[in-house]
Amino acid sequence: MSPRHASARWVAAIGAAAIGVGLLAGCTTTGGGDTGGEAKDELYIAVQDDPVCLDPQQVTLTTALNIGRQLVDSLVDQDPETGEIVPWVAKSYEANDNLTEFTFTLRDDVTFSDDSPLTAETVKANFDALAALGSTAALASQYLAGYQGTEVVDASTVKVGFAEPNAQFLQGASTITLGLLSDATVAMTAEQRCQTPVGSGPFVLDTYTSNDSVVLTARKGYEWGSELRTVKGDAAIKTVTFAVTPEPGVRTGGLQTGEFDMILDLPAADEKRFGTDEFTIYARANPGIPHSLVPNTDRPIVSDPAVRKAMILATDRAEISELTGSSKVPPAGGVLSSATPSFLSQKDALAYDLKGAEKILDDAGWTEGSDGVREKDGKKLSVAVTAFYGQDVLEATQAQLAKAGIELKINMVTAGDFFGAVASKDFDFLGAGLTRTDPDVLRVMFSTASAARWAVVSDPELETQLATQAETADPAARAGILEDAQKRIIDDAFLVPLLEVAQVHASQQGVSGVEFDSSSRIILHDVTVKG
Amino acid sequence: MSAVLRVLGYIGPKLAQFVFVVLATYTVVFLLITFLPGDPLLAALASKSGGDTIVDPEALEKLRQQYGLAGTPWDQYWHRLGMLFAGDLGVSIATGRPVGDMIARTLPNSVEIAGIALVIAIVIAAVFAFLAFLAPFRWLRNLLLQIPPFGVAIPAFLTGLLLISFFSFTLGWLPSSGSRQPGSAILPAVTLALPVAAILFQVFSAAIFEAQASQHVFTAVAKGVPPRRIFTAHLLRNALLPTITILGLTIGYLAAGTAVVETVFSRDGIGRMTVNAVLARDINVIQGIVLMIAAVYAAVNLIVDLAYGVIDPRTRRSGRAGSSGRAGRNRRPRPQAATQEVPA
Repeated sequence: MSPRHASARWVAAIGAAAIGVGLLAGCTTTGGGDTGGEAKDELYIAVQDDPVCLDPQQVTLTTALNIGRQLVDSLVDQDPETGEIVPWVAKSYEANDNLTEFTFTLRDDVTFSDDSPLTAETVKANFDALAALGSTAALASQYLAGYQGTEVVDASTVKVGFAEPNAQFLQGASTITLGLLSDATVAMTAEQRCQTPVGSGPFVLDTYTSNDSVVLTARKGYEWGSELRTVKGDAAIKTVTFAVTPEPGVRTGGLQTGEFDMILDLPAADEKRFGTDEFTIYARANPGIPHSLVPNTDRPIVSDPAVRKAMILATDRAEISELTGSSKVPPAGGVLSSATPSFLSQKDALAYDLKGAEKILDDAGWTEGSDGVREKDGKKLSVAVTAFYGQDVLEATQAQLAKAGIELKINMVTAGDFFGAVASKDFDFLGAGLTRTDPDVLRVMFSTASAARWAVVSDPELETQLATQAETADPAARAGILEDAQKRIIDDAFLVPLLEVAQVHASQQGVSGVEFDSSSRIILHDVTVKG
Repeated sequence: MSAVLRVLGYIGPKLAQFVFVVLATYTVVFLLITFLPGDPLLAALASKSGGDTIVDPEALEKLRQQYGLAGTPWDQYWHRLGMLFAGDLGVSIATGRPVGDMIARTLPNSVEIAGIALVIAIVIAAVFAFLAFLAPFRWLRNLLLQIPPFGVAIPAFLTGLLLISFFSFTLGWLPSSGSRQPGSAILPAVTLALPVAAILFQVFSAAIFEAQASQHVFTAVAKGVPPRRIFTAHLLRNALLPTITILGLTIGYLAAGTAVVETVFSRDGIGRMTVNAVLARDINVIQGIVLMIAAVYAAVNLIVDLAYGVIDPRTRRSGRAGSSGRAGRNRRPRPQAATQEVPA
């Protein structure tokens, strides 16, 4: 073949291929996202995980809670700023003195989205079913610990009874986990409930496509929002789409170009980029216990209080927060996170003091070894932390502790191995935080009687304080006991707080009215969107 | 009667082979899952409940019964094998849904992008091979032949993110994620197609240039047959045999490739389900997926075997001859040999 002919043919072939590509692209231009300029009644939110299950009572995954919160109402609501409990579908409530009986008087105009009314029987059915689900509803079973039964007093009055005092129940009743579902939903099996939960909330589940999206539509005639909501009546937005988008780069890229109105779980590294006037960043610390080193004081070196106290002083929480956390949330400042009611700021006791840490270790007989790690009686000052997330937090801590001559080995394991270690108590320290709205989280973490106990400490005084706060009805008295317990935990170094875990989201400038509830889950009832 | 026997004699060993592959896969997966350190039930629960996971021994034992994880490994092996033969893949620990349902729901999504990817890959490989065949200059031909290694070397997640930032975020032509909008399968399919196209191209072009050097092509050129006709009539058929062998292997690659692509593009599919299941150590799901892929693989192998007979009549003849003796053994010729032995 002659070169001239061949090259002409070659050019023609390339041209044909190029036209083909062009046609292909031309056919598909309809698929792109549009960015209008007017007020919209649609909200498009990119979320990190597939919710897996949408039954608000069963789920504990943050994304699922954020979605489920829009579907259900709770008996009461809690002001995220003050911690005060206010009416929601229960117009009034009272507890007996030893916190074993809680009486709620319900509004009589509340209906579920399947048009069935919310009655005293419904509330009883909800709690009875949750008690029967047991550990399938892990979080609910802890709020309902010691549940004895619910008594229907009359059509709009119920009395919930417990075998033992349950100080956290009223607060638990404000969470999505004890949100109310219709009689028909409650009667389903646990698996069925996951797919089609029916609540009385401002939004109704339209479609859930696993690993893809959840679409909610606004409820018409919604008149029973809690008094914390600024919008009265129906939600301003008509449709909310949660698009499951695990890749952070796609979420942030989509927010930047307007494909998404809002994204949940903004990576800390992107906070600067979206910190401009064009976008809004939402941040709130998770209530509960911050990401911490949780000790097992049955272990040889961990059992030495001097070591644990030195560890508290040798960790620089401001630096950890700067390196690994959100700039929108303060460094860990106590045993509880700053978003938890009864939070006691212990900044002074937790201040970074390397000299002080070294002195404590010197006094306790831990002397500098040849490789920089301290030793005592031929034993190295080396402990391990077992964790399944937050490796960056632990690495920062490791570097800081090394300056004081403490070796922290990081043992990253799967979630299953982590809880295996919790079950067998086979760890020096656990590296994790625990999210709960009520300060009773301290009892959950530290009390020997708690089913979900992590810390292995033995302190009768603390045990008494934790038990007493759970049965104290007087808020002021309870706060006093909790304050003592927080002080005691730091004094005895039963916890090394590291970082406040935060919920950080971002939206386009035109989105307004996004609120956090007391558990740091988003509420979309008040949201309006301008393009 | 003898015809039935002959068909049985042909299908029987194939079926036995199929069952053997699935059984062996089941056994290996079971051993791996059982003897890996850590508690799969706790792992799956933890992925569902996070910090609220309950480690109460009594509650755990009840759940073990519920998910078919109670008893000694020996008991579990037979129990689960029995379930398998009854067509029951068990229940996912992390989601509580039947594994069979989960696979049935996600498989079509993966097949969609894998199928489109395969078509795109074949087209790209054929077009490139054709261009390389026609390339008027040696340097141009060499350049074209050097491109494919890039296709294999660039990680799929990088290709995916680049495609998203260009076609979705810059041009706004195609959706960046999910499968909600029309055209959402295109970018993931292209991402998946590039490395496959690169592999196919290499096999394809090698076979073409090998055949080009053979006598019958030399004769055709001498007779003045136009290059395009030589390409389609003489070269393509020869190149098909090794390409089809590679295609069989590619199915395995596609299954693995979807894991990355489906995560980057936020698509629901087998690949993403596998990643989630492995992270959660959801052993019932892992086992179900591996068995399903093993079955697909064995089936594709069978089809490739049959396709040889269609494409190359000689293998069909030797196949018939073989079926009277040791049925099914060594019927598939080595692709290299086939391309070299084409008569002029």
